[in-house]
Amino acid sequence: MKIMYINNSGGGFADYMNIEEGTSIAKLFAEKMPHEEAANYLIRVNRQPVPKDYILKENDRVTITPTKIDGARN
Amino acid sequence: MKKHKMHVKAANMLVQALYELKQERLLVIQQKFEGFSCKCSGIPKHSRKYSMAVSRCWYKSAEKIRSRISRDLNDFSHQLEQFINTINAEDIRLPKLGDVVAEMLQIEDEFGEIKFDLKAMTISIITETIALEEITFGSFEIRLYLNDIKKLAFESPYKIIALDPNPAGSDYDVTHPHVSHEKLCEGDGFIPIRKAIQQGRLSDFFTIIVQILQTYNPDSPYVSLDDWEGTSCYDCGYTVSGDDCYYCEECDRDYCSNCSTYCQICDTTVCLGCSYECPGCNKPVCEHCTDVCVECNEQFCKDCLNNEGLCNNCQEQRKEQEDEKLKEESTTPKAEPEIQSDSVGETRISA
Repeated sequence: MKIMYINNSGGGFADYMNIEEGTSIAKLFAEKMPHEEAANYLIRVNRQPVPKDYILKENDRVTITPTKIDGARN
Repeated sequence: MKKHKMHVKAANMLVQALYELKQERLLVIQQKFEGFSCKCSGIPKHSRKYSMAVSRCWYKSAEKIRSRISRDLNDFSHQLEQFINTINAEDIRLPKLGDVVAEMLQIEDEFGEIKFDLKAMTISIITETIALEEITFGSFEIRLYLNDIKKLAFESPYKIIALDPNPAGSDYDVTHPHVSHEKLCEGDGFIPIRKAIQQGRLSDFFTIIVQILQTYNPDSPYVSLDDWEGTSCYDCGYTVSGDDCYYCEECDRDYCSNCSTYCQICDTTVCLGCSYECPGCNKPVCEHCTDVCVECNEQFCKDCLNNEGLCNNCQEQRKEQEDEKLKEESTTPKAEPEIQSDSVGETRISA
């Protein structure tokens, strides 16, 4: 099943990817960001916040954005 | 209906701006390509000249050509690296108009309002009041200039405008620890911001910037939160930042650079009130590096007093006095030996 996955941390990755049917948003987050806590991210599907047990569907658009992003002087 | 018309118009402008960015990227690749080809075309020429020089035993010329090739090879590797980076850069996929409109509607859901200025070609949102560690900076307008998107590789096409500014005490152009002259220092957000703009993900673009504004990075602010209000100079009252603040070790107070100095003997920082200008050398010194001349009782820096505790004037005066004394002694005639009367000093000797 194909979804659009956008990660707004680090390299600003955005691309289509394949996932297994029945994958929840919480499972996808755990797979993609294994050392991170979900509470530190804005996680949206199709531009809307969803519960963690939301089951992803074909062509869903998942966006993960950190709630804290360090600015810098230079 | 009219509202959506604005959204569509603005979305069209954004797609057009991204199209120009894509064009700009292709032009940059073309320039790099041409530069690299030009470098490559020089190699056969050098090769021919070198072969000719060697076959005719022109060793000096061959050595010169070798040296030139060596220099060119350094440029060549640099240009090759740049060329590889440019040509490997991801293609810019233009978003669909419908997607951009959907992004705009999401922005309205999230931030309350999206502002379009179609004449100036800007899209902006207004943040809620931003506060970091109990310091409030007011709300900010994040204004994206569609016309400047094509220069994305070289500069940021947006401004962060403080609407109710609470600037740093030491620098009024710093309206947030990470905003100076309306420019955001993006730090970790640098690449995600660019990717979001390139892909027309407006909502992500504004969200990332808001997250940066809501985060304080104590390692790299323009002005740290600790110094936000600045320090008031105890003498003139001028507000200075931590870096420009000088602590007087004599009176334990903070001063600006104009109201402080340092002892030219022990290097201690002191305020002008606690420094003392030595009347001998006119240098500012601290109280500890002064002493009183044992002769005239005036205060001098330690460098202007000799081992006996005399200032230069008193040393000179003393020398003059000593010289005069010596002079007097040398000019006064010596007393003639007294002529003795007869028989004085004689001793009777028995026959």
